Amino acid sequence: MKPRKVLIVDDEPHVIRVLRLTLEREGYRVETANDGNEALEKMAGYAPDVLISDIQMDGMDGRTLCRTARRRYPLRSFLILVMTSMTAMDERDWVRELSDIEFLEKPLSPRQLVARLARYCFAPPGDLEIDHAG
Amino acid sequence: MKNNRFGIVLIASALLVITLVVGLVLRRQQAVYAAQIRLQGLEVTRSLTALPFALLAPKAGEPSILHSLLVYDENPDFGYAAVSAPDGTTLAEVRSPGAVVPTKALPTGTASLFGERMIESPRGERKIREFYGPVMDGGNLKAFVRIGYFGPSQLFAVQDLPFFALLALAMFLLVPLIYFTGKREMAPLGAIVRQLQSMAGGTAAHVPVAAYDVRCLADALHRYLEIATARIRELEQGSARTLASGRLLEYGSNKMNAVLQCLPDGLLILDPSGEVTFANSKIEPLLGVAIDEVLSNPLDAWCEDADLKMLLSRYRSDGPETSRQLKIEFTPTKVPDKRLWATALPLVGGSGRMAFGALIVLRDATREHLGQQAGNDFVAHVSHELKSPLNVIAMYSEMLQGARAGDEQLRVEAANVIQDEVERMNSLVGNLLNVSKLEMGSMSPECHRVKLDELLRDAFSHALPLAESKSVRLDIQVPREMAAVSIDKDLFRIALNNLLNNAIKYSESGGSVSLIADEDEHDIVITVRDGGIGISQEDQARVFEKFYRVSEGDENRRGGHGLGLYLASQIVGLHHGRLTLQSEPGRGSAFSIHLKRMPALMQGANVL
Repeated sequence: MKPRKVLIVDDEPHVIRVLRLTLEREGYRVETANDGNEALEKMAGYAPDVLISDIQMDGMDGRTLCRTARRRYPLRSFLILVMTSMTAMDERDWVRELSDIEFLEKPLSPRQLVARLARYCFAPPGDLEIDHAG
Repeated sequence: MKNNRFGIVLIASALLVITLVVGLVLRRQQAVYAAQIRLQGLEVTRSLTALPFALLAPKAGEPSILHSLLVYDENPDFGYAAVSAPDGTTLAEVRSPGAVVPTKALPTGTASLFGERMIESPRGERKIREFYGPVMDGGNLKAFVRIGYFGPSQLFAVQDLPFFALLALAMFLLVPLIYFTGKREMAPLGAIVRQLQSMAGGTAAHVPVAAYDVRCLADALHRYLEIATARIRELEQGSARTLASGRLLEYGSNKMNAVLQCLPDGLLILDPSGEVTFANSKIEPLLGVAIDEVLSNPLDAWCEDADLKMLLSRYRSDGPETSRQLKIEFTPTKVPDKRLWATALPLVGGSGRMAFGALIVLRDATREHLGQQAGNDFVAHVSHELKSPLNVIAMYSEMLQGARAGDEQLRVEAANVIQDEVERMNSLVGNLLNVSKLEMGSMSPECHRVKLDELLRDAFSHALPLAESKSVRLDIQVPREMAAVSIDKDLFRIALNNLLNNAIKYSESGGSVSLIADEDEHDIVITVRDGGIGISQEDQARVFEKFYRVSEGDENRRGGHGLGLYLASQIVGLHHGRLTLQSEPGRGSAFSIHLKRMPALMQGANVL
């Protein structure tokens, strides 16, 4: 089976390092980017199955990245996971317009992330229902 | 009494006038009569003298012409007519009954032989007025014609009595006329007197006055004037007092007005009907509405802020709020960058209810609002700053739990990262506490004389591990002997550490950071220079602001927390120094602390 592709976008090198280590160990193909702009550049030649992004980043932030990625690649099917430390509900409103998007709350548990990705990537096709955030 | 006296005087004077008039009329009558007699006498004398002597004095037994001429004279005062020889001998005569022709010699030597004379009656009766003229005969004086009249017998004749009576009556009738006219004319005086008395007030009012005349009026007027003078004096004193207290009041009012105008808050005073009767000058900048407009227009016309309008309209006397105070916060429509607090307080009277309208105090709460906002931002910011290292720590620790036994490299890495992040959090918390102390004003530097070179070397060695971990070369250029300075060692170390950590953080791997100290006769300059990314021109201006973070592009330069430089500049400021920055993007930055040298006199003091 072809390894699933993940793009991790964060300006925190340690986060990228841990996630990369964890996911690669689980057999994912991991690409990383430091901000939205770099992520979009990467996406031009690399169609990830999952996009994991932080929100607050210098350069292009996570919100813009998610909107742009969905708009730019409407035909690609990929899950977006947004890492946020903001738990207030109004901080999550912006995702209503987007499909296939979920929140991951900081502090992030790599184990939970692995479990979540497993559900998404290796579930039978009928179970591909994503419970929307909010 | 007075009326009577007036009547008596009037009657007496009327009688006097009547007597006078009657007397004058009588005299006139007599004068006219005398003139008549004289005319008659003279005429008769002349006409008789023109007759021939023989006719006048005929022989005895013949009737004289005198008879025919004068016997019918109707004048009751006619005495006699005679022709006398110059020596007085009577030649012929006619007499009225009872009259005697006096034998008095006539004057002969006079130029004119005509004349008149008064002769005393021989019997002591009435005087006789005699007219005479010469009778000439051939140029010789033959005789005299003499005509005598009796003087007037009584002052007025009985037949004149009705005339005089009527005259007197006519004049006497004037008395009641004058009396009543006078009374009538004086009646208003009574009213005036009463009025004066009532105006004068006091005791004069109840002195009963039977009749009112001019004297009474004068008295009343006099009394009134006295009272009025006294009253005027009182009033003048009162007016002086009023003036003085008025001035005092005006002064007080002006002072109060100045106080109200000087208050830092905007004030509006509403009358009980809810209209603005006073507005101080602060209203204009706060609401963006001219004072005149506020004072001259109704509330609806000038107030565009719905919240404020609602608040003001609650404080009419018929409104719902007459005893409570209310406070609202709003942003004025015309000054959108401000935030105002409006507090409405009813101006209560003795009853505890609103009596004089309401006082509205408008306070510029922009600072507080911004402060609150900044506080919220601060909390959000700090929690984010704390959560980021926590996130990393959590992830590494979880990874450690799942690490396989032989994965020594990962274990070391995790331990290092966790330690770094703890350090980062620790420094953030430390800086936060310091900033908080600084802003509360509780951070007062305890300055002692400090050997600066030692302090700098200490800071240098403290920063070395960080520099080494980032492969940044750190060097120090400090003179061996530096002048002592008076600083708070602990605070100053925080500032130095922040500058050094910053410089290292923003340096490329393999770059260098220098800690340089220099002194001249006035200043000591401590510079932290790096060859890092530098700071753009627009960021340089704001880099000392709290929570300001320069926009970074590079992955390994994770942002600081925006407190380090702020704290450093505040600490340097506490030491009366300056923190300056010279930087060029791509070429590096140099932060310099400028301190004043201690006065030479103090150089000898003990150095800690």
